[in-house]
Amino acid sequence: MENSQSQTSKSKLSRRDFLKIGAAAAAAGAGISALRPAEKPLLPQSESQDESIVKTTCALCSSGCGLDVRVVNGRAVKVEGNPLHPLNQGVCCLRGQTSLEVLYSPERLEHPRFQTGKRGSGDWKEISWDEALKLVAEKLAELRKAGKSHSVALLHGELRGQMRQVVNRFMHAYGSPNVISRESLGEGAARLATWLSQGVNAIPVYDINNSNYVLTFGGNLLESSRNLIGTLSATAFMRRGRPQRGKLVAVHPRLSLTGIKADEWVPIRPGTYGALALGMANVIINSKLYDENFVRDFTYGFEDFEDADGVTHQGFKSLVLETYTLDRVSAITGVSTDKIARIAGEFATNRPAVAVMPTEPGEFSNGNALYTAMAVHALNALVGSIDAQGGVILQRFPELTEWPAYTLDGDAQKGEKRERLDGAGTQFPLALSVYQNVPERILRGKPYPIEALFLLNVNPVYDMPNGGQAIDALNKVPFVVSFASTLDESAAHADLILPASTFLEVWGDDYLEGTGYAGISLRRPVVEPVHDTRDPGDVLIDLAQKLGGSLKDAFPWISYKDLITDRLSGFDWEKLEANGNWSELVYFNAEPGSPAWSDVVGRDRLSAPKDGRFDFFSRELFAMLGSDSAPACLPHFEIPAALADSTKDSIEYPFLLVTQPLITQSQQWQGIVPTLQESYGLQGDVKWDSWVELSHKAAEAMHLEDGERVWVESPLNRVQATVRVYAGIWPNAVYLPPGQGHHTFVRWGRKSKENSVVGANPNALTEITSEPLTGLAVSGPARVRIYPV
Amino acid sequence: MPRWGMVIDLDKCFACQSCTAACRMENNTPIAGKNQADMGRAILWNEVLPFVEGEYPNVQTTILPRPCMHCEEPACIKVCPVKATYKNEEGIVLVDYDRCIGCRMCTVACPYAVRYFNWYEPEWPDDLKEHLNPEPEVQPRPKGVVEKCTFCVQRLRKARETAEAEGRTFQTTDYIPACVQTCTGRARYFGDLDDPNSLVAKLAHSPRAYRVFEELGTHPKVYYLKQG
Repeated sequence: MENSQSQTSKSKLSRRDFLKIGAAAAAAGAGISALRPAEKPLLPQSESQDESIVKTTCALCSSGCGLDVRVVNGRAVKVEGNPLHPLNQGVCCLRGQTSLEVLYSPERLEHPRFQTGKRGSGDWKEISWDEALKLVAEKLAELRKAGKSHSVALLHGELRGQMRQVVNRFMHAYGSPNVISRESLGEGAARLATWLSQGVNAIPVYDINNSNYVLTFGGNLLESSRNLIGTLSATAFMRRGRPQRGKLVAVHPRLSLTGIKADEWVPIRPGTYGALALGMANVIINSKLYDENFVRDFTYGFEDFEDADGVTHQGFKSLVLETYTLDRVSAITGVSTDKIARIAGEFATNRPAVAVMPTEPGEFSNGNALYTAMAVHALNALVGSIDAQGGVILQRFPELTEWPAYTLDGDAQKGEKRERLDGAGTQFPLALSVYQNVPERILRGKPYPIEALFLLNVNPVYDMPNGGQAIDALNKVPFVVSFASTLDESAAHADLILPASTFLEVWGDDYLEGTGYAGISLRRPVVEPVHDTRDPGDVLIDLAQKLGGSLKDAFPWISYKDLITDRLSGFDWEKLEANGNWSELVYFNAEPGSPAWSDVVGRDRLSAPKDGRFDFFSRELFAMLGSDSAPACLPHFEIPAALADSTKDSIEYPFLLVTQPLITQSQQWQGIVPTLQESYGLQGDVKWDSWVELSHKAAEAMHLEDGERVWVESPLNRVQATVRVYAGIWPNAVYLPPGQGHHTFVRWGRKSKENSVVGANPNALTEITSEPLTGLAVSGPARVRIYPV
Repeated sequence: MPRWGMVIDLDKCFACQSCTAACRMENNTPIAGKNQADMGRAILWNEVLPFVEGEYPNVQTTILPRPCMHCEEPACIKVCPVKATYKNEEGIVLVDYDRCIGCRMCTVACPYAVRYFNWYEPEWPDDLKEHLNPEPEVQPRPKGVVEKCTFCVQRLRKARETAEAEGRTFQTTDYIPACVQTCTGRARYFGDLDDPNSLVAKLAHSPRAYRVFEELGTHPKVYYLKQG
């Protein structure tokens, strides 16, 4: 296979190139300070070193790798990968490496605290855990007694292992339907598309190890995918570990590290992935390159068909052939017809091939998230890559000891049946959670006023500021409790903070995810708690005991460790501690039509038949939306409004903003990890800051030069960044990296106790709304303009 | 006596920078902070650098992880006026921090720009210093001296001590630097270049192997394997 990203020959590289990068030091010719030995050694030099390796599980991203932490005299001093862990097999990414800077961060909150002044005033009083928990328990008891248990809501981000069920169980037993996940910003699209087409409610896993052709639409596979290290090592294996080299192709408006390291980068107009996928399907179908047997026997809605009422509906094939012709798709996406045809041909003829749906926030959020994801997943069905080696596989989970049964008391029963705060299931019939809709509903008091709000691993004020709406919403809720470990933007508007311990100080567990096969990974304290903090799991169990009723029945444990031990009692605990994990280690692909097949296609369908057929035409959607909804049941593409030319907006704000997460970005801890800041912008040679990438064309037109400070302004807001003129970006797109611009907890100017904002938060530029049917976030592409500071 | 060397396969390197972070956590390189970093004074012994060429949409980018090359003929040693920088008998280029007078001749002489001057006192606020590696070789360096990648010599010493304590002969495979251990794509190989049976020696003779600025006659002991 041809490698289109040819390597620069070494002769082209000059010493000047080395010096150019981060080389101000050579130019800054200050006087030489005399050598002064350090007055006293920074480190205690004890004679004896009590040294051990403690195995635990990382919690800094959605992977959950095994870690070996080197502990010397009670201090954690180095992190390595656990060689016995199947996800990372002894290696460790930079987030894991720098997790000790999280553990020992000076920005961590040391005690529970209560905001005595107005919310956001910053007048805090540190209180004891007893006082803090009493406050929460009294409030919750009072609301429950008043028949308002439903008016308590909990927003959460990524939850690991049993915490997923613990949170749901707690709220269910308390009597509130309002457990709201952040998933609607990102991975929700992949999950929903997989459910509506393949019939399983899951975020798919991609078998890159065995794939010959990996095509990723958006996202940033090698920087921010779920199971990142697994993806990196699988890609390395695909290239150098087996006889036949596979090819990786990255489609994105911007040349990211994934694009650079891929065999080919396909630049595309922002927000048009769905059209490209459908254009590729057109080529594959037209040239009869699809897997005819699989499509005939194991899919539904490929050909035109008659429904039960005898009405004829258009199938995927004729829709794609009529509507997504090469010329039209090329005009929409800006990818040449030749290239679309070639990529489609390569994809269909280098099997097993796999098309990847991103899970990163903002990637599919153009108002088409569901249908874009369905269009991409349809490619997998066309080439028969459903649960096949080298295709899309499903994550399996181990069987754990059953949760103890409990009955809902009367209070809980009433509250639990109420409409959800976020409108999932009502305003948004297909949604599981609609995180970004919460502030608006709170402000409108719909469907009922919210009396108490819990924030667990989420930061809505940062994620979706929407011009101050999120802050207003928090301030409107009478009682806000945050589990934040640092004073993040949302915690700053809470009444009470119950600071969470870091993952290095607590017991916990993690499901093995990203491998396909089932497994469980153990988390355990590596060092004594550094501060007076607690695990949110322990806090919830404690609250359940205090509140009594069905909550007490639902949580018959004394601590989170007790809960874990109980749930994992089917495992050999000693081995689990010794290895750090247990797993099946083998994934058995389901043969189409075999008994196992019903587990991978159709398993979670509600209204559509569980007949083992992959739905090009989603029968689930058809059942839900009614008989005149047929066109809405096939993957299709509508051009996002933001892309329209010659509108007033497009003239005033000529650029499309793309964001793409970086490997140096840490969801929850961004800003407080100095080493992540110091390696933040590899591509822009930027540390401790944000940069905005402009094409040469755009920079010339605006007479802007590399290194200039500019404002990036949308109709909503403006932020500052440093210009980087970059050849690897769609000419009228600009790129601003996400994750920076936290303004409440970064004070890391050297010797500065002042807060200082590092970089800019691109979320501030984007108005985030929701798709009507699915409740998935719509965030763009935002339109911006750029001008010098 | 082994002759330590490294091979980095650019086909398996994904520029994840785990090596950069592992190096910092192992070797206690100081945090620069924004102001010093803006002046180009960040100290990362093992930085990953992009070299972008071409114009949209035909962009070619090479990304090189850059440790010290531990040259056979190091330019840094030739210019050091006080013999503070030296090559040990196993070919590892080191700095004697007590001898270094901070003249920075070596930082200019090194063609690979891998030598870092300490422009500021090392500083880890509050609890942050708790995670520092306690090995004596990696005591934080004072302001005014030059420091660089050492192939994690402290690990070599510890590996020898462990072998001795366990009553066995030290093997060259007992020791790898932190960047090699953590490399997510397993792109890094380390070992004895003089042992024809070692993986590094074999890979160093691969048709894909090259060294940076080979024409300068520095004879680096870090080899790269071309991508693709």
